[in-house]
Amino acid sequence: MRVNVTVNGEQRQADDVWEGESLLFMLRERLGLPGSKNACEQGECGSCTVYLDNVPVCACLVAAGQAQDRSVRTVEGLAEGDQLDPVQEAFVEAGAVQCGFCTPGLVVQAHDLLDRVPNPSDPEIREALAGNLCRCTGYEKILDAVRLAASRR
Amino acid sequence: MHAFDYAAASTVRGALDLAGPGSAFLAGGTTLVDLMKLDVLTPDRVIDVNALPLKGIRLHDGALRIGALERMSDVAAHPVVRSVHPVISKALLLSASGQVRNMASIGGNLMQRTRCDYFRDVTSACNKRRPGSGCPALTGVNRNHAVLGTSDSCVATHASDVAVAFVALDAQVVLRSKDGDRVAPLEEFYRLPGSTPDRENVLGPGELIAEVVVPVLPWARHSTYLKIRDRQSYEFALTSVAAAVDVKRGVVQDVRLAAGGVAAKPWRLRAVEEALKGGVAIERTFAEAAESAVDGARPLAHNAFKTALLKRTIVRALLDAAGAR
Amino acid sequence: MTLTPAELTSAVSGGIGTSPQRPDGNLKVRGEFAYASDLWHEDMIWGATLRSPHPYARITSVDITEALKVPGVYAVLTADDVPGRNLYGLEHKDQPVLAVDVVRYQGEPIALVGADHPETALRAMKKIVVTYEVLEPVVDMETAVDDTPLHPGGNLVRHVPIRRGSQDVTAEVVVTGRYEVGMQDQAFLGPESGLAVPASDGSVDLYIATQWLHVDRDQIAAALGLPQEQVRLTLSGVGGAFGGREDLSMQVHACLLALHTGKPVKMVYNREESFYGHVHRHPAVLYYEHGADHTGKLVYVRTRMYLDGGAYASSTPAVVANAATLGVGPYEVDNVTVDAYGVYTNNPPCGAMRGFGAVQAGFAYESQMDKLAEALGMSPVDVRVRNAMTEGSVMPTGQVVDSAAPVAQLLKLVQDKPLPAGTSSDIRELPGGVSNTTHGEGVVRRVGYAVGIKNICFSEGYDDYSTARVRVSMVNGSLSAAVHTAACEVGQGLVTIMQQIVRTELGIERVTVLPMDTTIGNGGSTSASRQTYVTGGAVKAACALVRDKLAGRTDIGDEVIDETTEWRHRATEAIDPVTGQGNAHVQYGFAAHRAVVDVDVDLGLVRVVALDCAQDVGKALNPQAVVGQIQGGSAQGLGLAVMEEIQTSGGKVRNPSFTDYLIPTVLDMPPMSIDVLELADPHAPYGIRGVGEPPTISSTPAIVAAIRAATGLALTRVPVRPEHLTGT
Repeated sequence: MRVNVTVNGEQRQADDVWEGESLLFMLRERLGLPGSKNACEQGECGSCTVYLDNVPVCACLVAAGQAQDRSVRTVEGLAEGDQLDPVQEAFVEAGAVQCGFCTPGLVVQAHDLLDRVPNPSDPEIREALAGNLCRCTGYEKILDAVRLAASRR
Repeated sequence: MHAFDYAAASTVRGALDLAGPGSAFLAGGTTLVDLMKLDVLTPDRVIDVNALPLKGIRLHDGALRIGALERMSDVAAHPVVRSVHPVISKALLLSASGQVRNMASIGGNLMQRTRCDYFRDVTSACNKRRPGSGCPALTGVNRNHAVLGTSDSCVATHASDVAVAFVALDAQVVLRSKDGDRVAPLEEFYRLPGSTPDRENVLGPGELIAEVVVPVLPWARHSTYLKIRDRQSYEFALTSVAAAVDVKRGVVQDVRLAAGGVAAKPWRLRAVEEALKGGVAIERTFAEAAESAVDGARPLAHNAFKTALLKRTIVRALLDAAGAR
Repeated sequence: MTLTPAELTSAVSGGIGTSPQRPDGNLKVRGEFAYASDLWHEDMIWGATLRSPHPYARITSVDITEALKVPGVYAVLTADDVPGRNLYGLEHKDQPVLAVDVVRYQGEPIALVGADHPETALRAMKKIVVTYEVLEPVVDMETAVDDTPLHPGGNLVRHVPIRRGSQDVTAEVVVTGRYEVGMQDQAFLGPESGLAVPASDGSVDLYIATQWLHVDRDQIAAALGLPQEQVRLTLSGVGGAFGGREDLSMQVHACLLALHTGKPVKMVYNREESFYGHVHRHPAVLYYEHGADHTGKLVYVRTRMYLDGGAYASSTPAVVANAATLGVGPYEVDNVTVDAYGVYTNNPPCGAMRGFGAVQAGFAYESQMDKLAEALGMSPVDVRVRNAMTEGSVMPTGQVVDSAAPVAQLLKLVQDKPLPAGTSSDIRELPGGVSNTTHGEGVVRRVGYAVGIKNICFSEGYDDYSTARVRVSMVNGSLSAAVHTAACEVGQGLVTIMQQIVRTELGIERVTVLPMDTTIGNGGSTSASRQTYVTGGAVKAACALVRDKLAGRTDIGDEVIDETTEWRHRATEAIDPVTGQGNAHVQYGFAAHRAVVDVDVDLGLVRVVALDCAQDVGKALNPQAVVGQIQGGSAQGLGLAVMEEIQTSGGKVRNPSFTDYLIPTVLDMPPMSIDVLELADPHAPYGIRGVGEPPTISSTPAIVAAIRAATGLALTRVPVRPEHLTGT
């Protein structure tokens, strides 16, 4: 089937999509956007978090067809050219990135949190990021990064 | 994944016309897509119902009415839900993760399947997935399984949190088919496994959940949902309890209680409710009443702890809902 | 102008001892860093693996006829298609690339499919017909040696005995215990994946997420029947490792499919397959007896331990040696008896995971130290300090610890840290958290301590070295350096460390890290907390060669200085097979934890309120990365303490998903207060001491000690779950 979808502000079209493909697969393998990650593909780890119509979701559990005529924003769509989003900048500075496989999902989820709650408390940050698994950092520097980004936005 | 047709419907009629044996409705997709990847569900046709007009959250005729396609996150955050039935909001917020709640619908949540690993593993026997093939959970790894409402065919738990709250509140579901609407109490919507664990509810072929109707119970503003799980977040219940208590002058006037994580379906605790009515709202009353919660329980090798844990969970929930702590 | 090395160093920022940003950080936060699963090649096809559903079975037939007929399928391969040696393994070549006649664990690869779409490959895979004669699996590690032999030499992979001092001395106070450690998974987030690209001359390039390029290459070449130079590996982005990528997974499979079809082949495991596709931490059963005098001084330690290696050996021999040689912990004990057994069973294969044998022993000996403290009426810290090893102490192997061993100091540092404020009134900070389970009722707060020891680098006489190349030339009028190794960046930040070393050694700020590949010599494994030590040492040594040629010049015109060198740490020795004596290890690392835990004793819920740590790192080359390692390692220890276990039943994995195999979320990890000591090891480059593993060892027993204190329960098994605490 053919899927028309707006991705990072651009109208995109994916052809020959097999019905069983997820939005994640379509983004990664058909639209050249592998930034959203495939760590569990069961909605358990949050590494594939993207905005779907401005709401963060796990792209792995969205059937490709569900994205028809909708708007998707991925981690690749956060920076303005060379200028990183403050959340991205803070993740690098705070040492919140080790292997980085969880990072795209966390960056999108943290971006959404700060859009909704500009100065979140620690418990609010933790609750917002509870659907994103990280195995390298023990999360402390991720919290640092979100606090840092909040202070700059 | 099994091959299938993908069709999108924009009207209920259209969706029902497309439906047939071997078809499945797709709302949020968080259960369906997951189980299709595992080949647990193999529909020939998937009907995307997201464009159907089954939305809206409103108070009408003494009831809170929630459209089946409302997202879990929207329902949880809705001011009317939070003020009229906070237990619904709490149960939703203790389910899954933010990202999943943003996709998953209320109707889909009620239709979610068990987390039994044998059900999810297509190389295993499972009476629910392949009737007559057997139930390895009876003698296998059954720590997470049910102790109430089980049968020799199936010991799986029902996985939903919000259904527990709904059942406590006497919620009904509006079921829509080409023949029109019918209404069923949610508690009776779900079937016990018996010898046919593959038939989990009373939904007929070509029928879908249109709406959830929750009677308003003014005193149920004092309600809570609490959940025991293996980590702080994003995990299914070992035990959970939805509780609403009406206490006047220290005496329990009325109460609604249901449990999750322990039973084959969301488990209303009527005997406990009866034992509580007229009692003094203190911990000892709650503990004594909770004893009957596990009448008829059939613990397995690895989940016997759930019976005592359920009773303690009930006590904590009552303390919280009664404001006694 | 010429400058002295010291002047050069101070002239540039981002050298050692600072925390410059990772060179790959921007790409990673933008989603533009290419992990192995992100790779794409014109005309590529997808590979899939058919695996055994049985833990132990004889294969009576494999029929691929129908699978080959599926449109879009390019190849279906079985053991018959492996042109070279169909056996591989890190220490024993005992594991088939594709099963022949018998399968020894659930998930063992039997056949491969290459097809135009991953779904086509999966569907074709289901059309392969394998018939099995199912056999009774061997699943009990304690009796495995006397059970059905699974390999020609029987089921004992390795027995490591240690005999030191008196074997029959008695003591005034004796405590005994039996401890169990469940099977932990590395649970790295980036699944096993890679892209194999065939060349027209019959050679192959593999872009791969791994921990050790050269040993992968050697095993792949042997299986393909190719000379090593015809198998070229390049490291792609690696989504975490923690030991789980030390063994092969899909490497040979992708290359086989690529060479067979003449097409680039991509393979990506999903999460379930990942659980079957890599080795796990050995589950263990450990029997201990500690004898002490009335002052708490240890008189003897005797232990017998079993580590379940599962179906194939992997690194079991080295894991067993670690458990044995580090089996009494960081304590001085004159009389030691150890018998450690690594065995074959039909459980999932186990091998390397962060802490590597020291974790299992650490849980047991630290539990014993608490038991001893209780028997003596001493505090847990006092009994540990009473026995703490120091520089100059003798290990049970007879090896003298010849650099800092600040065990008592680390314990006192965590003991002296301020305790967190009392039990919170915010339910989000109580056991159960947002789950709304308590407002404080039933909650008991207690503290637990633990300290651990880990060998750093490879041991027992292994020729452990790394190779580094540093090239310097002029770019836009200033000196620029490039550093090239085959040492794998898996997330830990080796790329940053290498840049820092070059900046410090050469005073050149602009340092490029070249792709890691097999065109340069062996970098050794990214394991045993060794890369900063060994590859860092190699980069430093290469810089010294470059510096000689640079001779203080800041303008070298068109000249290119390009130096490559191998660097080795000092040699270690094999241990005596009867007494276990020998200088087996090159360096020891130590960390201590204090855990503060709130336990809801009625509901069995645990919240780790604080998890404070002190660790000696010799020299913190990158303080931010050091702290990141301590935080991450401690989190994995927390996971083992209270939630993580691969559950098996009759050899079958029952929870191969992140739904059912739980790892800590951000809500489960407490804030950590961390002290980093820098007591230089004179034998190591810059005095550094390996960082990655020690914090994983002591966090588990510290947390369990606190839960024991809160509940009064024995808790001899990890992970501890609610039902172990509710008494129900």
